[in-house]
Amino acid sequence: MTGGSWLCLLAPLGGTILITLCGTRIPRVAAGWIATTSCFVAFAGAIWAFFGVHDQHFRPGLQLCDASSGPCRGEITTAWTWLQSGNFHVGLQLLVDPLSSVMMLIVSGVGGLIVLYSIGYMDGDDEERRYFAYMAFFVFSMLLLVEGGNLLLLLVGWGLVGLSSYLLIGFWHERPSAVQAAKKAFVMNAFGDATMALAFFILIAHTSSLSFVSAFNVHLSSTAANLVALGLLGGAAAKSAQIPLQTWLPDAMEGPTPVSALIHAATMVTAGVYLIARTHPIFEQARTVELIAAGTGALTLLVAGLIALVQTDIKRVIAYSTMSQIGYMFLGAGVGAYANGMFHLMTHAFFKALLFMTAGLAIHALAGEQDIRRMRGLGRLMPFTKWCFLAGALALVGIPPFSGFFSKDSIVASAAALGTWYGWIFWVCGIAGALLTGLYTFRLWFLVFPGEPSPFVREHYHDHHGREGAWTMLLPVGILAVLATVGGWLQWSPRWTPFTDWLAPAAPTLQAAIPTNTQEYYTSAATVLAGVAGIVVAWAIYSERSMAIPAMPFWRRTLENKFWFDALYDRIFYAPAVWTAGLLRREFEEPVVLQTGPDLGEATLETGGLVRRIQTGLLRTYVLFLAVGAAGVVLAFLIAK
Amino acid sequence: MNGLVLASAGNVLVWIVWVVAAFSCLASGVAVISFSNAFYSALALIGNLASLAVMYLLLSAEFVAAAQVLVYAGAVVVMFLFVIAYVGPRRETPWSGGPGWQTVAAVCAAGALLVEIVVAVGMQASGTLSPESNVGATFGTPAWIGRVFLTDHLFAFEITSVVLLVAAVGGVILGAHTRRTDPGIITPAPTREAEREPEPEVVH
Amino acid sequence: MAGPDVAWYLAVAAFLFGIGALGVLIRRNTLVVLLSLELMLNAGNLALIALSRHWHNGAGQIFALAVMAVAASEVCVGLGLVVALNRRDLSLDVDRLSELRG
Repeated sequence: MTGGSWLCLLAPLGGTILITLCGTRIPRVAAGWIATTSCFVAFAGAIWAFFGVHDQHFRPGLQLCDASSGPCRGEITTAWTWLQSGNFHVGLQLLVDPLSSVMMLIVSGVGGLIVLYSIGYMDGDDEERRYFAYMAFFVFSMLLLVEGGNLLLLLVGWGLVGLSSYLLIGFWHERPSAVQAAKKAFVMNAFGDATMALAFFILIAHTSSLSFVSAFNVHLSSTAANLVALGLLGGAAAKSAQIPLQTWLPDAMEGPTPVSALIHAATMVTAGVYLIARTHPIFEQARTVELIAAGTGALTLLVAGLIALVQTDIKRVIAYSTMSQIGYMFLGAGVGAYANGMFHLMTHAFFKALLFMTAGLAIHALAGEQDIRRMRGLGRLMPFTKWCFLAGALALVGIPPFSGFFSKDSIVASAAALGTWYGWIFWVCGIAGALLTGLYTFRLWFLVFPGEPSPFVREHYHDHHGREGAWTMLLPVGILAVLATVGGWLQWSPRWTPFTDWLAPAAPTLQAAIPTNTQEYYTSAATVLAGVAGIVVAWAIYSERSMAIPAMPFWRRTLENKFWFDALYDRIFYAPAVWTAGLLRREFEEPVVLQTGPDLGEATLETGGLVRRIQTGLLRTYVLFLAVGAAGVVLAFLIAK
Repeated sequence: MNGLVLASAGNVLVWIVWVVAAFSCLASGVAVISFSNAFYSALALIGNLASLAVMYLLLSAEFVAAAQVLVYAGAVVVMFLFVIAYVGPRRETPWSGGPGWQTVAAVCAAGALLVEIVVAVGMQASGTLSPESNVGATFGTPAWIGRVFLTDHLFAFEITSVVLLVAAVGGVILGAHTRRTDPGIITPAPTREAEREPEPEVVH
Repeated sequence: MAGPDVAWYLAVAAFLFGIGALGVLIRRNTLVVLLSLELMLNAGNLALIALSRHWHNGAGQIFALAVMAVAASEVCVGLGLVVALNRRDLSLDVDRLSELRG
């Protein structure tokens, strides 16, 4: 099983290196196949590791162990000691336990499908090879993040996925908006990285370790625990685009659609949830911070849902939907129902990637158009896309028997299980979020797919040799559509919970967050009803046109400006930074630094000019120098005497 | 340095002679560098050489004094006078031409050399001249010089004669008339004259 | 006979040397420069003779005679140069003689 984890980690890295070394010697599409193959090899490794974990029957509540000596909670395999400073050891360690194996499967599986899809989507792009190298590198980084056996390796993976995100958002670097978006994403993620690093410092100070084996078993003082948990939460919020660090995610849609699918829906943005689940011992020592995480998730899921109601770019609607669904995951993990959060992570990966990829099919067919106001009636021309999108949409809203139903409801029920006042607030937020989800998702559906094709669609639609897209694009979409439909059948709490049981050794659900059966049932009913209500309202407004959108200009403006977050950050951070930079440039860089070169040159010229005056060409001058030299020598002689 | 030694009239006479000789030496030296007419400078040099010869006599160097008058005043200065007459009159004011800083620097350099030598002398030399009785009567006589030349300092003697020979040959070659096939008078290119800074005084 | 100390002679020699140096540095007529050089040589001679007398060492006078001979040779060659310059109608101004070309 440890072999599986190493294979899983190193295969995509090998893919990247191979593509980089081959350079332009291989055809562009070959780079795509190398990347895809490496991801599927990683998937094979993940399966191998999965079966290894399955056979191992890890026991909950025990320590992690090395080399399988007796019953334990998960196994660590160490390559070599990387860092050693006094008592502080960090090794190149991989962790194989139920949580990491689940993530490995998701990342490599969905990643492989999306990379396969990219072969068709990015066909014809000049820099395809670079794209696939970056994609394989991203998969490697994400796997490093989830397989890392200590917090330092996790941080390395964390940073590398941030880098990959930057590289891939700004892939089309001739577009200034893409470059800006990439920078914004990177800077906000860097803020999260900084808080995480501070948390790690405190952890090292208290425990002299970052390894999962030891760092989690030390009882921290409440201040230390709170600070560490806050730092981790900061990193998680930045990476997962939760309030207040969420503004980078919509802009990240500047990247190619498969990038949005892989990084900003299925895997990278869910790393925050994984982090909370992985470091839950620390969070449980700082319960307040954990509940703050849950509150952040609840707030984000509402805010994102509201903003998604007024978006006109198809990818941005799905991006805000992602933000909202991750809010659900944070809510689940924050109240202590880690397995529910992870389950929703898995189903979300399926249906969100599916939604992005079908949107990509539509965008591709309309030659790059992304504005939904022009896209009416696409379903007539692209039936396969329509049905797959519908499957993803129903899964997103949480209609049974689609996958979202099974995962989302249990999260909201866990909130109710807390029994406290904030638990009920979270519950209400969850239900309201379901309503909003139904509303914005089917607003998107009704605006784009049903009905008569609009003139724009009729004019610009072009298919791919008679089909809606290349087979490399259609196959993954089909597979994901199937997964979005049946993927949730893995667990139906409270009756049948193999997923939660599987994750129990690594991330056991807190007792306080386990709902009773009654709570489960009425929560499920409420969320489904809310979702259906949202669908009906969307149908009424956008399809039947029997209901008009209420005017509410103030709210419309607020939503369109994304609750003024961008303007606020611009005023607080960006404008002062620009002012400072301008000041430094005017006062320091230009007069001092840049002038140094010309000043040195001028000084040299002036010195040369001065020295040149000695060369008068006159004999008397040279004799004068002789006399002066003689006087100097005699003077030295006298002084020496 | 010790003070004046009074008492004998001979001593006073020596002092008077010395003062006159020193004064005329320095005055003629100043004259050499001051006259604008080179001919007068050469004539002033004769005075300088003569006063130096007197001082040599005071220092018991009779042969050197005689040689000074014969060689320097008699031959070298005559050569100078011949050449000055040959090249013709040239008017030049000594303190003009060239960059002003050069003049100032020259004065400073010369003054510095002077001061340093005086200081060096002041530090090293002391004591009166040893009296006549300590110096042999033969000190400085031609016979004594001749013997020393041919015994202790033979090498210097021979080398000096070689130097003189070489100089004579060189002087003859330099002064010889050019052959007919030479292009004759070579004047410098006019452009070079124009490139140079204009001088306030023209030597010609 | 006693007279001035050797220091007085050396002082005169020093002054004469300085005057000669000044002349070399200031004057522009080549011939006068050569004359000033003679002054400097003579100053050296005076110093030699004075110290030779002071230390009762004959080498000083021998050296002075050698200097005289060398001075004569140098004047001979120098004046030969001046004559050659004059033959070719070149200026005798030291400031003009800044190139080695004829």
